[in-house]
Amino acid sequence: MNFCFAIFRQLGRNLKQTWTAQLMTLITVSLSVLIFSFFYLIYCNMLTAGGRLDNDLRLLVYLEEEPGPEMREQLIRKINDFEKVEQVIFISPEEALARFETQLGDNSDLLADMPHDFLPPSMEITPLKNLRSLHQISLLADYLDSLPGATKVQYGREWVERFYTFTRLLSIIVILSGVLLVLTATLMVSYTIRLTILGREDEIEVLKLVGATNGYIRTPFLLEGVLQGFMGSALGLGALYLLFQWTLTHFAGPSILAIFSLTFIPMPVLGIIIGTAMTLLGIASHVSMRRSLRI
Amino acid sequence: MTETMPATPETMIDMIKVSKRYPPNVTALTDVSLSVPKGELLFLTGMSGAGKTTLLKLIANMERPTSGLVEVSGRNIHKLKGKKLALQRRKIGMAYQDFKLLTEQTVAQNIAIAMEVAYRSPQNIRVAVRDLLGQLDLSDKHNSLTGDLSRGEQQRVALARAVANDPELLLIDEPTGNLDTTTTVRVMDLLRRHHLAGATLIIATHDQSIYQGSQHRTLEMTKGHLSILHEGARA
Repeated sequence: MNFCFAIFRQLGRNLKQTWTAQLMTLITVSLSVLIFSFFYLIYCNMLTAGGRLDNDLRLLVYLEEEPGPEMREQLIRKINDFEKVEQVIFISPEEALARFETQLGDNSDLLADMPHDFLPPSMEITPLKNLRSLHQISLLADYLDSLPGATKVQYGREWVERFYTFTRLLSIIVILSGVLLVLTATLMVSYTIRLTILGREDEIEVLKLVGATNGYIRTPFLLEGVLQGFMGSALGLGALYLLFQWTLTHFAGPSILAIFSLTFIPMPVLGIIIGTAMTLLGIASHVSMRRSLRI
Repeated sequence: MTETMPATPETMIDMIKVSKRYPPNVTALTDVSLSVPKGELLFLTGMSGAGKTTLLKLIANMERPTSGLVEVSGRNIHKLKGKKLALQRRKIGMAYQDFKLLTEQTVAQNIAIAMEVAYRSPQNIRVAVRDLLGQLDLSDKHNSLTGDLSRGEQQRVALARAVANDPELLLIDEPTGNLDTTTTVRVMDLLRRHHLAGATLIIATHDQSIYQGSQHRTLEMTKGHLSILHEGARA
């Protein structure tokens, strides 16, 4: 009989002997992984949505009067001196009116009696893709506001701030749920392993006396933790996937979710979550075994 | 005591000035020296509490001596650790006075455990278990829980487990304490067969019927001291 066969038979006995505690551990690990991955999934989708919004981010600077060619060059140079930007477009009052008419569509005749220059001239600045932190954008906006001739800077500051604050809050929740996962899963596995060891104390003594190696006795306990990690995380992620599919089915169509194009956690990250759970629980069972199993 | 012999390559057990004290102040063995050649059948007798079980436990490395040296097959058994200790223990079969059976496992499982740790094939284990149960008249108890057996039956299961791996050294503590005459004969026949096959045997017993008239060496333990009761033929 080879080592692996003997080890897996011992593992089977362990699981059978303490199946209620094993089941509780499995449920706890699954729930912990589900909670963690649920927040991680939201966080990932928020980041994707944030990235998409970032692509459309423009800062609009209203000017007192339309700048001449020389002043335009000066303004472009000053802005780039402060922070490199992707693009600066100057918009004359006429161009602004044309844009407004396009936006109004069928109702553009409302503007028929308005003077052609009733809208102020402005410049539209597209920041570089790497300039995407709230703080950087805020600094650029403040600078633009201080430029001579600028009357107002607009970029949906409140909305952007709220979005970034929410994303930051979510990242904290992801970290906290990760800590919760680590604590509950490792504690539960340690408890279960200790329970198994206590339940099999007599057998372990006999095993030692008849010449079982430490590996023969310890490996099943180690595998127990790793198996709990694999099954718990796979179940947790499976439950999340079902929840995700249910959400897609029930909230498809014109709803707030339609703004976001929802995606599930990518395969490599799923692999990392399962691998981490297996490693963590393997370590937890190893530590618990070292403490409880005197061989 | 008592008796010393020069260590030779053919020596199975060497104990030199071995003492064992348990806290707070109980002396189990005092300066015991003993040499057992390979293939000897040795009887160890004495009153309860004389130190027979302690002596066997020291040889099996279940206890550490307070002082002195215990060698089995030329190795200081108390310096062995990890895999070396495990491998050494597979060569020693011990039947304990308190049996050390797993009462919630079947008779077959209790016997098989010794062979499983030696990685013998399941087929091989099944055959060996049935053979041993046949020899000890326990065939009908194959699937019984050991906790449901009588003391005499448990004793035979413990014996079957001790001999299951055909060990080089057999340490048998009170093998016939709970047995009737017929079963005692069966048990002793089994042990003799292992002795004839080359195993070294130490049998600790109160039962005079086992060692009286025997040609084998018989030692007596008295309050932790060892003395020769019968010199024997040393084989």
